[in-house]
Amino acid sequence: MQSVLRDLDSTRWVHELRASGAVHEAAAARLHDLLLRVARSEAARRRSTLPDRGLEELDDLCAQAAGDATMAVIAKLGDFRGEARFTTWACKFVIFEISTRLRRHAWRHRWVETDETVWERLPDQRRSALDSIQDQEIFGALDRAIGQDLTGRQRLVFRAAVLDEVPIDVLAERLGSSRGAVYKTLHDARRKLRHALAAQGYGVKAS
Amino acid sequence: MSQSPLDRLLGNDDPDPGCDAGLEVIDQYCEAIRRGEDAAGRFPAFAAHIHNCTACREDTEALLAALDGL
Repeated sequence: MQSVLRDLDSTRWVHELRASGAVHEAAAARLHDLLLRVARSEAARRRSTLPDRGLEELDDLCAQAAGDATMAVIAKLGDFRGEARFTTWACKFVIFEISTRLRRHAWRHRWVETDETVWERLPDQRRSALDSIQDQEIFGALDRAIGQDLTGRQRLVFRAAVLDEVPIDVLAERLGSSRGAVYKTLHDARRKLRHALAAQGYGVKAS
Repeated sequence: MSQSPLDRLLGNDDPDPGCDAGLEVIDQYCEAIRRGEDAAGRFPAFAAHIHNCTACREDTEALLAALDGL
């Protein structure tokens, strides 16, 4: 899709980043400064979710995120269509970079189960994992569906991401995968479970 | 965003394009919110995705906070 009208500020950013020499260098430096400021602001906003012992490393994470995001923005400049302001478009790259780093940082000393047989090996943990479900009939049906309808990988991802609340980009890192791929596995697992409950008449919507 | 226990476990059934497609429109979605528009109405698939995906929901909140500081 070709673009909509760009605002003057966005047009200037794109023009200067596409230039060569000193004009490009100055624009790239301004972009990096902007993205570093956004990364630091986000790290400060999430500070309460981070372990105390890792706080001194936060600025390094912000610098890494701003550096990677600046390179990504410049590399993807041809994809910018002006459907949002340039600064908003650019900020999404640094938000993705710093969010991923902060979640992984918060979990770096925490164990994440990556053995696909965990559901079968640790049956006692299944009850606590599903204890938010008060209705015993639904609890039983869901427990059976997880055991019977999901693949080992889907059980692992569902358990980690939903029951143990492991962030999916942390899980992706531990599994050597990507956020999108892990989310797809989770999405497919949830769809199977909705279908299983719907088929048993539990009033769960499943298309 | 409050969710029932079953909804939290299973997500909703609306079409969900996933994280990569979400990253394509998160900037437009956030600007629409800040303009006071019906962002979920304009981007229903993304709205469904952030209902189901905690990471992308957090990133949306982060981008909205960043826009307030620009």
